[in-house]
Amino acid sequence: MKTTLLLSLVSSFAFAAEPTAADIVAKYDSIMGPGTYEAQTEMTATREDGTSRTYGMKFLKRDTDKFRVWFSEPASVKGQEILRLGDNAWVYLPNLKRATRIANRDSFQGGDFNNADVLRVNYATDYDAVIAPSASPDQLTVELKAKSTETSYDKIRLVVRKSDLQPLKGEYFGTSGQMIRSATFSEHKEFDKGFVRPARIVMQNEVVKARKSEMVTKSFKLNVEAPPQRFMQADLGK
Amino acid sequence: MALLKLAVRNLLRNRRRTVITLVALVAGVGAMVAIKGFILGQRRQILENQMRGTLGALQVHKKGYVENVLGSPLTLDFADTPELRAKVAAVKGVKAVSPRIEFGAQVSTPDKKPAPEDGSDLPEADRGATSFLMMTAFDPALEQVVTPQRWEWVQWGRGQMLESGTAEQVLLNDDFAKGVEVPLWKAGTALPPLEQRLAILAPDRDSSLNGVNVVMVGTLASATPNDRRVGVMSLGAAQTLLRMEGRVTEYGLDLVEGAPLEATRDAVAAALGPDFEVHTWEQRIPFVKDIVETQDFVFGIVSSIFLFVVLLGVVNAMLMSVLERVREIGTMLAVGMRRRQIVSLFIGEGIVLGLIGGSIGALLGFAWVSYMNAHGISIPAPGAKVPSLLRPSVDLLFVGRAILQATAGAALASLWPAWRASRLRPVEALAHT
Repeated sequence: MKTTLLLSLVSSFAFAAEPTAADIVAKYDSIMGPGTYEAQTEMTATREDGTSRTYGMKFLKRDTDKFRVWFSEPASVKGQEILRLGDNAWVYLPNLKRATRIANRDSFQGGDFNNADVLRVNYATDYDAVIAPSASPDQLTVELKAKSTETSYDKIRLVVRKSDLQPLKGEYFGTSGQMIRSATFSEHKEFDKGFVRPARIVMQNEVVKARKSEMVTKSFKLNVEAPPQRFMQADLGK
Repeated sequence: MALLKLAVRNLLRNRRRTVITLVALVAGVGAMVAIKGFILGQRRQILENQMRGTLGALQVHKKGYVENVLGSPLTLDFADTPELRAKVAAVKGVKAVSPRIEFGAQVSTPDKKPAPEDGSDLPEADRGATSFLMMTAFDPALEQVVTPQRWEWVQWGRGQMLESGTAEQVLLNDDFAKGVEVPLWKAGTALPPLEQRLAILAPDRDSSLNGVNVVMVGTLASATPNDRRVGVMSLGAAQTLLRMEGRVTEYGLDLVEGAPLEATRDAVAAALGPDFEVHTWEQRIPFVKDIVETQDFVFGIVSSIFLFVVLLGVVNAMLMSVLERVREIGTMLAVGMRRRQIVSLFIGEGIVLGLIGGSIGALLGFAWVSYMNAHGISIPAPGAKVPSLLRPSVDLLFVGRAILQATAGAALASLWPAWRASRLRPVEALAHT
């Protein structure tokens, strides 16, 4: 009994001192893509001509890889819906009056996030992680390498806060080794009891520097009711 | 002059050898001219497929469009008004104007079976496919004058051209359509139910996603390199999809027969003012430059080898001639002919051979090219599956250069035999048997 207690003390101490790459990735997944949740967000996409457009949307997630998105703003996308099940995604457009398959790498409503950034956050499954040197002693850095060619990025460098492993920065690389996106996570706040995550994510397009997209989370509720029929193709547009 | 006469008469002494050497020269130079004509004809064919099939003679864009063509050029559009069209059409040399929109889109093919009731996904083989394409939208009635070749590509493909400028219809590349199994809809029959139509999805002018249900009325046979992922669509349907009512990204222009390309471009640019840019079709096809460079390189090597082999024949014939005439050369030297004159004599023989052989060869080659130019050879352009007429052509300057090359080459080839002849010692040469 004493030994167990001691061991668990030692291990929790060890964790606090030096989390492994897998710990950091698991924490990231649990912050950015927790099990079942409902969220209201606003995405503002700024384009190279300086104009910007704000999209309002509601997310519903169930299990690890079932998503629904409903768009409410602006008028041109009102009524659009997205359903994602594992590797497959559909979009429902009111004027098509039906669900249509879409590719995973598509940008998300013409912004700089792509569908996988927003709808599928499961780095532990998609990438192999190793600890990398950090710029600051309060930070930890992990480098993620894609396990398959199906992922959106070939490599990701993720910087998290050492104290609570909250994400601070992300750098996303293409197969050519070029940085294609960089993200800044800020305004970390408690959305649900004991659940903290960044309220603002700015995704900078590193290829076309004038382009960036900002995702602001308005509300985030865990363990909501997410009935399975919401995650069927037939439910789109209903 | 006397030496030249002597040279001709010397050549006539061994007629069989002279004829054989001439035949080699004729064949070599003739083939060079013919191959050049073929290459130039092929180049023309590629260019014309582009001009008559995708671009039109001239294109009008909003200023800065061509430079930003890889960015998001939908915002670099302009209002397509009857006044603007009339302004362009009024320029001398312009025959027709066709408004178009070029845009990137995702085409999503329907699932082959309805989705299972239990919400699970279809097996991989029954799922529809999504692919990215470059689409060109136009009104078929206006476009046919500017790029008539497209209609020919439909003939070699399947189905038919778009029915009107507003129909929710597309045509896709034939190879691509077969690859992702796009169903072909026969015009005039009942439209398939919504879920069995193709969906074309594209970010609109404001980058918001939009889509349209369409049917594929026909396919375009591959006629130019890199055209597998392209499609065409009715202009009206594209304007609704892209939320660009009354707006387009380009005008394609056809010119009246014989109108000067560059001068007309400049006149159109002057008429439209600084908000627009005008390009000729040749300015818009960068990959043709690569093809031209490769062809020129290969032709250079091939023609060098031809010339080298033919000239080796000339060296051989001249050397034989020198060896046969040792005593005669000795006699000439003995009666006071200069060594310089001996060299000139043999080089003169080479020049005469080269000039006659080269001229006959070049003229025969030119005759073949001219005949084929008038009749055309029906073969596909490089990278294409559609046969089109290849019309070989060479200019007279190249023909003249070929004759000059053959003559100079033959003179060079006789240099060594001539030098050997001039080095003979009269006493030994006279005693030679």
